[in-house]
Amino acid sequence: MKFIIEHLSKRFEQKEVLKDIHFTFEDGKIYGLLGRNGAGKTTLFNCLNRDLKADSGTFSLEEDGIRRDVTAEDIGYVLSTPTVPEFLTGREFLKFFLDINETSVQASKSLDEYFNMVSIAPEDRDKLMKDYSHGMKNKMQMLINIIAQPKLLLLDEPLTSLDVVVAEEMKGLLRSLKDSRITIFSTHILDLALDLCDEIILLSHGELEAVEKSNLDDQEFKEKIISALREETYA
Amino acid sequence: MLKTLRLSFSLKNTYRVNGILYSLKQIPFLKRLLPATLYRIRGLKFFANVLSVLWELVTIFLFKFLYFFTMICGVGLLYENAPASLSFLHILLFLTLVGSYMNTNVFNPTRDKYYAMILLRMNARSYTLVNYGYALLKTMVGFLPCTLLFGLRRGVPLWLCLLLPFCVAGAKLTVTAFSLRDYEKYGYVRNENKLQKYAWMLTGLLLALAYLPPALGYVLPTEASAVLFLIWIPAGLVSLRHVSNFRYYREFNQELLSQVVTQMDAMKKATKTVSEKAISTDASISSQKRGFEYLNELFIKRHRKILWKSALRIAQVCALLSCGVLLLMILRPGTRGEINEMVMTWLPYFAFIMYMINRGTGFTRALFMNCDHSLLTYSFYKQPGYVLKLFQIRLREIMKINAVPALVIGTGLVLILFVSGGTNNSLDYVVLLVSILSMSLFFSIHYLTVYYLLQPYTAGTEMKSGTYRIVMILTYIACYAMMNLRLPILVFGAACIAFCLLYSVIACVLVYKFAPKTFRLRT
Repeated sequence: MKFIIEHLSKRFEQKEVLKDIHFTFEDGKIYGLLGRNGAGKTTLFNCLNRDLKADSGTFSLEEDGIRRDVTAEDIGYVLSTPTVPEFLTGREFLKFFLDINETSVQASKSLDEYFNMVSIAPEDRDKLMKDYSHGMKNKMQMLINIIAQPKLLLLDEPLTSLDVVVAEEMKGLLRSLKDSRITIFSTHILDLALDLCDEIILLSHGELEAVEKSNLDDQEFKEKIISALREETYA
Repeated sequence: MLKTLRLSFSLKNTYRVNGILYSLKQIPFLKRLLPATLYRIRGLKFFANVLSVLWELVTIFLFKFLYFFTMICGVGLLYENAPASLSFLHILLFLTLVGSYMNTNVFNPTRDKYYAMILLRMNARSYTLVNYGYALLKTMVGFLPCTLLFGLRRGVPLWLCLLLPFCVAGAKLTVTAFSLRDYEKYGYVRNENKLQKYAWMLTGLLLALAYLPPALGYVLPTEASAVLFLIWIPAGLVSLRHVSNFRYYREFNQELLSQVVTQMDAMKKATKTVSEKAISTDASISSQKRGFEYLNELFIKRHRKILWKSALRIAQVCALLSCGVLLLMILRPGTRGEINEMVMTWLPYFAFIMYMINRGTGFTRALFMNCDHSLLTYSFYKQPGYVLKLFQIRLREIMKINAVPALVIGTGLVLILFVSGGTNNSLDYVVLLVSILSMSLFFSIHYLTVYYLLQPYTAGTEMKSGTYRIVMILTYIACYAMMNLRLPILVFGAACIAFCLLYSVIACVLVYKFAPKTFRLRT
């Protein structure tokens, strides 16, 4: 499966944030999206998720040589600040989600088995989510996006404010889920990107480019990325 | 000093001008016309500067004028037992005392002070003194025309009218000097926006002294008022020395203004806390339904307090009022004729009443803050079929909530019409009831449709749609204008029912056509 972006452009008045982007992502990989502050990472995600209207461009999925448009259910989008409906309990949210997606999601597990997947303790499952900690909300958000089995999983700085234990759990989960889907992971933390991601792509001057590791060692690779990012003067 | 004055003026002005330009940018249509470089266009800056100067003049004169017009003379008019000149001085004296500690300038933590002294590190002493001096000057200049205009007409001697503004400034200075001394001695930083309990009690007492004795015919004699005013002039002069020699303006402002940042955060937090508090924690709430009906039922049950309780309370009040009118007509049959005439022609008035009591804004706000705000970040929730399904369910719910008071009002009006002597055309009864119900239907659909088509909030729960604001204002104006219409029940009722039905159909078509695209988080 491939996810293909063609001619994607977005400008805010005079500022061209995304410039005629062409890029092809392949399944089974986690892509680390790096860019300076204000480079347009969130804009790119918002355009892909159709929260923001792009000025031009198409994005499509190619499966077995057949191309089709991306639909809402193909995309899972996890924000850095987790948002969950706070008037529901974790269990109610999960039940509601499985109810309305019963045709598209094959629920092979019980609700409790799903909670076990993301290590949400039994005593927290029937609490209103307004009383959940940041990490627990993040796990719930991730869980929903995982069960939906989106072809394309967009993660906007999802691990930044988690404690080390939850962050490690999440990393493990993402690694275990990368097969048969494309994961794009935006972050500011270079070490995290190098640790978790299979490919590093830079959003710089409004364009996406892959950074080839070829035969560089980790330190040289890091320096190459940083010097590429430095070129962007007005971040 | 002059340099500080110039700098602080230009800072305040820049802040204000940018504020005006930012507001212009929020207006739909204009938003597209104005470029991103808006803040450096000279013509626009000039225009905003003119507005800024006008605003300064308004704060100097208009507010003082309104203060005199309402608080002192307006209320004074109600007192028949006390002579106008005496009650004028009496009320002004006690209100001046209240103002001396509630409106001080020095103890008001404002953003421009924060920018100037904390962020830009301007000299705290000269900044505070220059701005305080200017504030006092504004008070005196603004007060003088008012004391002359209102005072002379009420027989206050000219010399006293001329001295009153100085007395007001003197009172403010004295309180400021005392508060600064408090800081020197005990390290206590006063914040005029966060008064202590005893200060509120003092305010209550002073307000009571201002307004109660004149109502009973007791006022301070002119001489006493004059003396109590005039002592503030020497007191002010002595205090002036203390205020200008005070040495700890930097430390004092550092502490006072540290609250500005927390205040800004606190406001954001407060909105979140209010929405969270609206969620019932009753563990027995559950639902046997499935899918969106399940989500909706849990939402309604857990938000019963803000959605249903107020609607039921309004219905109870309306029922009581209707019973009151019915009782009045039974006890005093003479009132029937007039009431009958009112009911027959005052139906348009009810457009405004229905506007006031409908729960549309509260409902859509709760929907966003506690439900859509989070769920709209999930792709599955934005699928067109689901958006429309949930719209239908929500429309049904808001219609149910609004229908309860509407039914009570409609039935009440029908009964009042019947008891007050009835009508020749029995169709009037039906039209009366149906038109009230259709108004309630209209408001239910209107608010939900506008919410779905313009979804005005961002992920940070900030309201960011100028169009939404304009639609809300227009709704208010239209309903307010209806109050002046006097039309027979049949004419207005039939037109109203037709309009509401037509609007509902159009609104639903628009939602079906556009909502799957427009019902998104604003970015």
